[in-house]
Amino acid sequence: MITAGIDMGAKTIKVVIVDDGNMVGKAMTIAGFEATESAERAYTTALGEAGLAEGDVERIASTGAGRRYAPHAKHDVSEVKCAVKGAIDLYPNARTVIDVGAEEGRAIRCTEDGNVMDFALNEKCAAGAGAFTEAMSRALEVKVEELGPMSVKSTNAIPMNAQCAVFAESEVVSLLHAKTPKEDIARAVHDAIASRIVSLARKVGFEPDVVLIGGLARNVGFVDSLQRALGCDVLIPSDPEYIGAYGAALAARAG
Amino acid sequence: MEMVISAQMTDKSEHNQEVRQILDRLRSRDNGRDTGVRLMIIGSEDDDTAFIRMVESCGATFVVDEHCTGTRYFWNDVEPRDDRLEAIAARYIDRVPCPSKDWVDRTRIPHILELAREWNVGGAIVMQQKFCDPHELDTPAIRKALEEAGIKTLFLEFDVTVPMGQFKVRVEAFLEMLAEEDLFE
Amino acid sequence: MTATPTYETRPLQCWGKAKEIRKQYYVDYASAHERGGLRWAGGAWTFGAIPCGLGDDVYSLTSEPYGASIAANKDFSMRCLEATERAGYARDLCSYMRNYWGSLLLDEYLWGGSFPKPDFIWQDHICCSHAKWYQVVGDHEPDIPQFCIDVAVGPEGAINENKLSYIVGQMHDGIDWMEEITGRTYDDEKLIEAVYQECRSTSLWAEICCLNKAIPAPLEEKTMYSLYVLGTLAKHSKVVADFYEELRDEVQDRVDNHIAAVPNERCRLMSDTQPPWGFLSLFRYLEEYGALSVGSLYTFGLIGMWEDKPDGSWGPRTTPQQQGIDIKDRDQALRILAAWNLSKPEWQHFYSPHLKTALMVRIAKEWHLDGVLLHYNRGCEGLSVGIAENRLGLIEAGYPVMTFEGNMGDEREFDLARTKARIDTFMETLGFTRESTSTGSASAPSRARRCT
Repeated sequence: MITAGIDMGAKTIKVVIVDDGNMVGKAMTIAGFEATESAERAYTTALGEAGLAEGDVERIASTGAGRRYAPHAKHDVSEVKCAVKGAIDLYPNARTVIDVGAEEGRAIRCTEDGNVMDFALNEKCAAGAGAFTEAMSRALEVKVEELGPMSVKSTNAIPMNAQCAVFAESEVVSLLHAKTPKEDIARAVHDAIASRIVSLARKVGFEPDVVLIGGLARNVGFVDSLQRALGCDVLIPSDPEYIGAYGAALAARAG
Repeated sequence: MEMVISAQMTDKSEHNQEVRQILDRLRSRDNGRDTGVRLMIIGSEDDDTAFIRMVESCGATFVVDEHCTGTRYFWNDVEPRDDRLEAIAARYIDRVPCPSKDWVDRTRIPHILELAREWNVGGAIVMQQKFCDPHELDTPAIRKALEEAGIKTLFLEFDVTVPMGQFKVRVEAFLEMLAEEDLFE
Repeated sequence: MTATPTYETRPLQCWGKAKEIRKQYYVDYASAHERGGLRWAGGAWTFGAIPCGLGDDVYSLTSEPYGASIAANKDFSMRCLEATERAGYARDLCSYMRNYWGSLLLDEYLWGGSFPKPDFIWQDHICCSHAKWYQVVGDHEPDIPQFCIDVAVGPEGAINENKLSYIVGQMHDGIDWMEEITGRTYDDEKLIEAVYQECRSTSLWAEICCLNKAIPAPLEEKTMYSLYVLGTLAKHSKVVADFYEELRDEVQDRVDNHIAAVPNERCRLMSDTQPPWGFLSLFRYLEEYGALSVGSLYTFGLIGMWEDKPDGSWGPRTTPQQQGIDIKDRDQALRILAAWNLSKPEWQHFYSPHLKTALMVRIAKEWHLDGVLLHYNRGCEGLSVGIAENRLGLIEAGYPVMTFEGNMGDEREFDLARTKARIDTFMETLGFTRESTSTGSASAPSRARRCT
């Protein structure tokens, strides 16, 4: 059976087409103001990549902050459930899923059957999500993709106000004036996010295997900080930002 | 600040010996620096020695304080009486209390004004430890009382980490403001 | 999939009366002077029975309910909060206080007209802020005499003669003070009557809460807020006690006839701390899943008075009159009043989160709950203290817990959309879904069903 999952994220929309458990097509667009239209475009692109037509897809499910506005989807599933479904499918020993997107960070404990035991979400705060790195890269005047590689070069941990992304931005300015190496600041940024995320993980009581998904998983600096803060390694799938949509597609198959 | 904190954690008889020695040395101590502007720090609990150092590097000295981990910890003597427990209890009841117990009237305010006068204070920094409600409830009244007594105040909110850079800017501006006032006196 | 049985439901008959009593209370306070009466202000936990000894024309304005009422009126609340911030008060202070002071600073009474100033303030210091609340009022209105009783004597289990005397002594002092500042002679008979009524009304409220152990629950928490509030206004008054008796009878009738508050009751929950008062629609949202909150330690234990029953269950506290106690004099009345109040369940948690966890787990068991919603209430540090510990304790006891951050009285710190999304996820983990079309975000589902 061919199913599709549409993840209507806060910043980006991801679409995944799944054919009998294999990801055969995927696409991502910026959500923008016309989220439904962006989703349409992503859907068309994903179908194209899979070499399929709309009629070939039997079931579609949506997830994400804007899931009620997804085109074509017949039902919606929470991000938490999709994260677990996607992660368990790829890593059967996954017992904790950490999902860090643009706007929200989540820590989820799951059973071996892929049921959600408990979950914790970051509370109204960008400092525990991808938006923080974007703000910080602006303050450091680098591209956001450069932040990760820069941070792993650091050999020095400096404390940073992890309470507020806005305050942290002005802290960065002070640190730069004090001639602090950019690498150390970049690392401090990632340490700050990691510490917020790990406190979510501790809230649900994390257990290996720990799977990391979401856009921030591509940031090597963040992964480094996270593993240090957790005290263990995390498993990262090859398309970390698509796992929510993948999970939705799997959920659609289950009906 | 460090002495008060050590007093809170050390056996009193041990600590008293150290304090007596320091007292002897203090009487003749020349710390080799100009006092600069005489400041007072008022607050809730505060052990931010880095902040103190920063302010004192700007041409000022904290000559007295009124905060939980400062004078309020050790102010007031025990008045001896036959019942020793009662004597100690009386000190606890009579001392300037933590704002959480300082009601209906605020006994802190006359005490703060008294300290400011006795120590000839030029300005006061009111530091507010975030989330300490009782102190937050006192701060507007304290600032008003000080301003009415002719003592300018600078209000700073402290958190787990503090933006030292920005604090320095504000402290410098505050000290400049105090210096200008002296000019026109 | 099992079909959802539907219970019979109907609105509460005495609902209108509750609204009338509340409205009259605020009118009486504002118009007290017109009738030569006195008015006083203080917290809802204050020993409100005591000023009754000054006469039958003495009216109160309790601070927290007033603050909560302001919070429910979002426009007025915002103006009050901003006025308070302009005056230099921190945003992380109790949001009830900030609403209340705002009303004072703006000189606008929520129910119209200028703010009716109390003749005196009668308070008790139940938390770090409580006495200071009126101290700040005094900063702006220095001519209003104030008296505050310190009640920090420890949890009920540790009360002894010394501690009780500490409180009763202050009460005696308070009465002398009251006579002096009002010029009135204190009437002990009126005090005794007020003490009886207070014990009666608070015991009755507990009885009403107990009736919610029934399945289906005859009441749900959003409705209960509007009923329990009367106790926070005047727990010592005969009007409130009489009303609670009438309410108890009606709720008993609902239990006997299986009348449900929520006809598709499937999932029984409880909440904790004050709710975000401007967003009680959250409780209606739960009903779309056939879920309801049957109450909370806050709703049960702030006004209700409880005890262990012979069968081991938690039930309404036996009143002095039920025990055949005949109060003879002022001192006896005060001692009974103090001891009665010190047993208040909602008081215990100030001393230890473990005490609170034990109370909450007990409610979860005896009220047959499926899960718990915890409001990490930034607006009240006192009631939120230790709530993260409570969460762990409840999880350990086997109850699924959902937490959400918010503020009982400051809408800027509450995100309704996000909280609803969180409820969606929580309900999903409990195995409940709403039946909805894929694009119909606003369409109301017909019934909730449990997933197989």
